[in-house]
Amino acid sequence: MKLLEVDGLAKYFETPSGIVHSVDGVSFIVEKGETLGLVGESGCGKTTTGRTIIRLYEPTRGKIIFDGQDITSLDAAQMLPFRKRMQMIFQDPYASLNPRMTVGDIVREPMIIHGIPKDEHHDRVTHLLRLVGLNSEQAGRYPHEFSGGQRQRIGIARALAVEPELIICDEPISALDVSIQAQIVNMLEDLQHELGLTYIFIAHDLSMVRHISTRVAVMYLGRIVELAPSDELYTNPKHPYTVSLLSSIPLPDPDKADSVKHIALQGEIPSAVNPPSGCTFHTRCPKARPECSSISTILQDTGNGHLCACPFM
Amino acid sequence: MNNAILSVKDLHTSFFTSMGEVKAVDGVSFSVNKGETLGIVGESGSGKSASMLSILGLQGKSGRVKSGQVLFNGQDINTLNLQDIRGKNIAMIFQDPMTSLNPVLSVGYQLKESLRRHHWEGDIHARAVEMLERVGIVPAEQRLRQYPHEFSGGQRQRIMIAMAMICKPELLIADEPTTALDVTVQAQILALMKELQRDSGMSVILITHDLGVIAGNADRVLVMYGGHVMEQGTRREIFYGAAHPYTQGLLRSVPNPERPHERLIPIEGQPPDLLNPPKGCPYVKRCPHAMRICLEHRPETQTLSETHSYSCWQGVKE
Repeated sequence: MKLLEVDGLAKYFETPSGIVHSVDGVSFIVEKGETLGLVGESGCGKTTTGRTIIRLYEPTRGKIIFDGQDITSLDAAQMLPFRKRMQMIFQDPYASLNPRMTVGDIVREPMIIHGIPKDEHHDRVTHLLRLVGLNSEQAGRYPHEFSGGQRQRIGIARALAVEPELIICDEPISALDVSIQAQIVNMLEDLQHELGLTYIFIAHDLSMVRHISTRVAVMYLGRIVELAPSDELYTNPKHPYTVSLLSSIPLPDPDKADSVKHIALQGEIPSAVNPPSGCTFHTRCPKARPECSSISTILQDTGNGHLCACPFM
Repeated sequence: MNNAILSVKDLHTSFFTSMGEVKAVDGVSFSVNKGETLGIVGESGSGKSASMLSILGLQGKSGRVKSGQVLFNGQDINTLNLQDIRGKNIAMIFQDPMTSLNPVLSVGYQLKESLRRHHWEGDIHARAVEMLERVGIVPAEQRLRQYPHEFSGGQRQRIMIAMAMICKPELLIADEPTTALDVTVQAQILALMKELQRDSGMSVILITHDLGVIAGNADRVLVMYGGHVMEQGTRREIFYGAAHPYTQGLLRSVPNPERPHERLIPIEGQPPDLLNPPKGCPYVKRCPHAMRICLEHRPETQTLSETHSYSCWQGVKE
């Protein structure tokens, strides 16, 4: 059963140096209960995609369908009940919590916004803090009294406060120490099973994305170049960009690190103000052909739900 | 060891804050051999950066090197003029290429600054052009006149590397040089650093929290936690024969590429509170093997081979 459908989604930003094509025609579905990983390098549009889905940004083009309803152009009042069903966890556990609110108030705030009866708040806060591995006595403390990992737990408790169905996790572990990352990932997995949550997991740590995701979409310059079930993508990447990206993962094993051959990309990511014509990857692609600068790239199913935007694979 | 370019003995550095004394480096000893890459792995607050800053006398006003000895090429670094050594014999690259370049000075000016400071014998401009070309930023003549904001993050880090290498240092300290970069750019930068090292024969200290970067780039590894060295050994000794419970925990907490969906085994608990560190081993509160002695007494260093040692009470005979 699909929970979310994104169809031809685009988000452009007007800046003094021109129109930035941050997200440029992205389509995918997210099944209920799964984790869709969204990976790519900085500027590829993964965060903008997440924020546009939840309509923190207004889409330039395309459709967002949540649980069968088109929410693309709902006004704020109409959108409110949907916001309750879609929550977000942010990257920076320092900047995303108000330093002048107690932890209890931070977790309580979404309940106030979404009209949850006041007499339930206290019990819910207690329950939520326990759920994320904190204790209820900590509700009176302020964010600065907690470590990075504990703050991320507070952010997760806040996201869970209104019992959402979909959580967009935007780089939830990249600011955390290695030993703490596994704690948070395990907790997200446990919560998913217990509460039947659906995740969009945005990250640049490719090994962690493989671990947590059911399917993974790879983005480059505002578009999805490949989308496949997690293990399939990592063992049998088809798009030249994915191949190169995966070969760049530093492996925590000396023998493997020595034997892997990096497929280095030439040059830098082109500007999203003037993205290259045709396949936007053709300027750096090791397998580019003359016609790549004029072809249209559409995700094509190559079998077993493995979608690839390169027609020559 | 005669082969050592840098050797650090029992270094103690504290930072004095309004909250009290933070013992950031608490008895650290290690050495770097000529031509090798020593990887230092540790989490925030482990003391890895503070150790490097103390070596170079850059601990700042709130910091104080309380004791310890640093030998550079066999000479006590305190007897040498640090201002002459920094940038010439020992160079450093920082994590954030955005804030470590001066935005109002051209890249050329900044590259030449250290040549001028250290009285480079030869054509300063030609050397700057040569280095910029060497790190792949072309056309160098033209790009020397540009300012940092006209370059991408990866290019800025290349400029930092050019700047660090320009006086042909004997030791390069790279503090999280690729942490702010994307993986494909990271791969490019690490390959470039390896190449430059091979050509020049310099030694490198590579500081990172990324075990993958260490596995692929370090000859020997130092594992730090809470201001202490927990374990050191060759890359293979650390990755295939980790002896310290912390090193073992760290290696287990990242996804295994062979079994990518197996549940992760995190290190439970929180990083140590540096204002109130445990009297004994800094890892005691998170260690699955902690004993009573670990609370009270600093662990002894146990030697497993000429290159492999670790600090732990486990396995010490009565």
